[in-house]
Amino acid sequence: MESAGVKTADDTTADKEGAGPDVGARQSPRRSRLEPRSLVRPAVIAALVVFALLEIPSLFSLYYVDAWTQVAIYSIVTLGLGVLVGRVGLVSLGQGAVLALGAWVAARLLFATGLSYPIVLLGAGLITMVLGTLVGLPALRLSGLYLALITLMLAGAITVVLTTINFPNGGRGFTGYDGSTVHIPPIRRPSIATTDPAFFRYSMIVAILMFVLVFFHIRGRPGRAWAAIRQSESAALAAGINTTFYKLWAFALASFVTGVAGGLVAGSFRYLNSLTFTTQDSITLLAVVLMGGAYSLTGAVVAAFLLKFLQALLNDWGVSPDWLTILFGIGVLQVLTTAPRGIVEQFPKDMARLGRLIAGLFRRRAPAAEPAE
Amino acid sequence: MIEVSGLTVRFGGVTPLDGMDVKFEAGTCGLIGPNGAGKTTFFNVLSGFVRPATGTIEAFGENLLKMAHFRRARWGVRRTFQTEQAIEELSIYDNVAMVHEQSKGSSGSRREDTLASIEFVGIKSDPYAHVNTLGVGERRLVEVARAVVGQPKLVLLDEPAAGLPEEETEHLSNVIRKIPEHTGALTILVDHDMSLVSGCCETTAVLDFGKLISSGPTEQVLRDERVIRAYLGTEENV
Amino acid sequence: MPTWTDVEQFLVTGLSLGGVYALSGVGMVVLYRATGVLNLAFGAIGAFGAFIAWQLINHSSVSFWPAFVVAVLVGGLLTLAYGMVFGPALALRDPLVKATATLGLALILLGVMDLLWPSSGGASRALTVPTDNNTFQVGQISVTYTNVLALVLGLVVTVVAAAFLRFTKLGTAMRAMANDREITASLGVPVRRVTAAAWFGCGCLAGVAGVLLSDLVALDATALTFLVISTLAATLVGRLRSIPITFAAAIVIGVITAELTPISSLSTYRDMTPFVVAAIALLFLSRRRVISVGRQGV
Repeated sequence: MESAGVKTADDTTADKEGAGPDVGARQSPRRSRLEPRSLVRPAVIAALVVFALLEIPSLFSLYYVDAWTQVAIYSIVTLGLGVLVGRVGLVSLGQGAVLALGAWVAARLLFATGLSYPIVLLGAGLITMVLGTLVGLPALRLSGLYLALITLMLAGAITVVLTTINFPNGGRGFTGYDGSTVHIPPIRRPSIATTDPAFFRYSMIVAILMFVLVFFHIRGRPGRAWAAIRQSESAALAAGINTTFYKLWAFALASFVTGVAGGLVAGSFRYLNSLTFTTQDSITLLAVVLMGGAYSLTGAVVAAFLLKFLQALLNDWGVSPDWLTILFGIGVLQVLTTAPRGIVEQFPKDMARLGRLIAGLFRRRAPAAEPAE
Repeated sequence: MIEVSGLTVRFGGVTPLDGMDVKFEAGTCGLIGPNGAGKTTFFNVLSGFVRPATGTIEAFGENLLKMAHFRRARWGVRRTFQTEQAIEELSIYDNVAMVHEQSKGSSGSRREDTLASIEFVGIKSDPYAHVNTLGVGERRLVEVARAVVGQPKLVLLDEPAAGLPEEETEHLSNVIRKIPEHTGALTILVDHDMSLVSGCCETTAVLDFGKLISSGPTEQVLRDERVIRAYLGTEENV
Repeated sequence: MPTWTDVEQFLVTGLSLGGVYALSGVGMVVLYRATGVLNLAFGAIGAFGAFIAWQLINHSSVSFWPAFVVAVLVGGLLTLAYGMVFGPALALRDPLVKATATLGLALILLGVMDLLWPSSGGASRALTVPTDNNTFQVGQISVTYTNVLALVLGLVVTVVAAAFLRFTKLGTAMRAMANDREITASLGVPVRRVTAAAWFGCGCLAGVAGVLLSDLVALDATALTFLVISTLAATLVGRLRSIPITFAAAIVIGVITAELTPISSLSTYRDMTPFVVAAIALLFLSRRRVISVGRQGV
């Protein structure tokens, strides 16, 4: 969205140290990347983030502030799924269930302990990471289609378990569920963010931290290994990459951030039950990630916006959410057949094409003034 | 030096390698043979993608077959693929540096080593340019740069010149010829372009139906009657 | 603990469920082998057909069997239409992409079904196969002809599909196409006709499965759509290739799921059966590893 018109493809090359003396001649084109032009994108994003953080609570009604909270939280989920789908080429059809798992763990910790909220989020992330990775382990050595299928089944299985043991409602025991309770206490929120606007800001800051975490992964060694695995498993192995290990790493990272997001879901909904999460969620998540563009971090935000803001908007207008489901279905088919890189990259491309068309018109009139490309 | 003995690979009813015995000493060696002779299968065995039914491979005093596939690259087995496999999402620099960071080389020299390899193969584009902006010729060179960075012991080139115009083939041939002295690695070149093989390799081995049928100095091998017969017999495939 | 009669009674349920899973699984395997598409919209298509049948029976006073035929044809034509539009567009892509695309169809159908036949508002619908009313006794347990129909259909579809792939020209062509479409095309196999037949056949089976499961389980769009998971588990055990193994796995999954019903401590977990079966199968599968060359993912 906010990246419209700015190229997203050259993320990975920007930050490199100064060059050695023997390649002096080659430095200049790279140096130019650090010139103001390449700072435009981060600056615009930073400005938008700060603006959203400060102004959304005052610009929107409480209903829409809550919608934006959901966008912030679910952007973490789509971010995690985007890493799997876009960076490594692993399709998971079980992220909705992983999110539910994170929410369960967080709710349980919040009822059982007096731990501060950030610690609970971290705990939910780590426990979800371990559980999510363990179950996906056997499928990681198999081809992508098998992984997708096993994660779909995993989603079904987790849903069954969570439906059976129920979400914690302040009861005792391992499950923390007491079916006879009449007065159900709400799930605790962070003490600094008990109101909706404050919780929005809190969620957004957590989301920013998760984006930063993923950003450094992508820029670093795992990001390079993932790019190789995505392109070709054999090429990755030939480059010395332990493909199983790095796939596992991606899985763990995605499960971790999704678990953290689950912790935020618990605090944002305050009352959880098995109807909060459905198996269909996992598929809808994949749909919006593909539509938003799994290849860029901005795509994750777009995906969350499609998922949660549109939903709130349609609900406000009294339109059935089924239309959204239909739209997502059409979106998946459209993206897979014509624009595999999603809206985020398709839109600038269309704009660039338009630009070239206009430039072409001018060029024909004044052929002498042809710019060097 | 690598010594292969009794190497047999079976896929169901097919036997792409059938008791292959061969020795590659040093420098750049050619490996030729008609289509389906087992050349790529041999490379896949060396890279660890295919597990042989029987046979041994001793490379520089180590039992290669005992090593896990990704460890072989770290140890020093490098290769290029018939269909070029430069990583599109990454820059030229990252493509090459990635191999370096996975191998044993120290991270202190990573930058120099990487840029030196890019320089060595003669890529003229900005090293920080994305691979998906490059032409076929330079993508091939990126793959070769990945194969020579760090301290390779064994460089396997699988039809590196396939689909390249003459000019670029010539450049590539110059690069390949210099690999052994630049890196000290034993280089094995598989190609159907006989002028490339005879231009680069002092010695050549010939495979047919998964067996070694001839080996020795390239000139001599190419005049060998058995080799000529093997090629003529399947001429339509060459 | 359940009594012996319980065990027998639930065996009947399990076998008929397994029969439906088997015919679904065989439909999916045949389509996968002919086109490389794993149809994850199978359940949604079946559910759609079942809803059409329900509509005809309850609002147009059509009797059951004609409505059943319509449901089957709707499934077949819908799947065929999808295959004709998106099959060629995705023909050269990874199987994972092809499978993901069918999820798009599943979402569209889910949305449409919920719009036309909303599940909220307490409207519960039921689709009853008339053979439910004809029962016979085997010892102490009663068996409906729907139970028999489900198991027999599963068996017949399995046998026919296996024989078809092995002995007929069209079947051999399908098997060949799984290996290499372009080579097969150049050998003079009518690729378009073969794929069309596979799409239509798979869709018809989806329609049959949809109606039978509406009777055996419930007429509910989401539930029917995700019953595809049980079927998927069976096809996974058969490595997406083997028809006999898919059949056996489907029966096993159906029977285990049903037999867990009377055991109170495990009853609520019985829907995990397909996952557990598939996970065990995958542990075995993952011992053999294939390294793929070429781009991964979508």
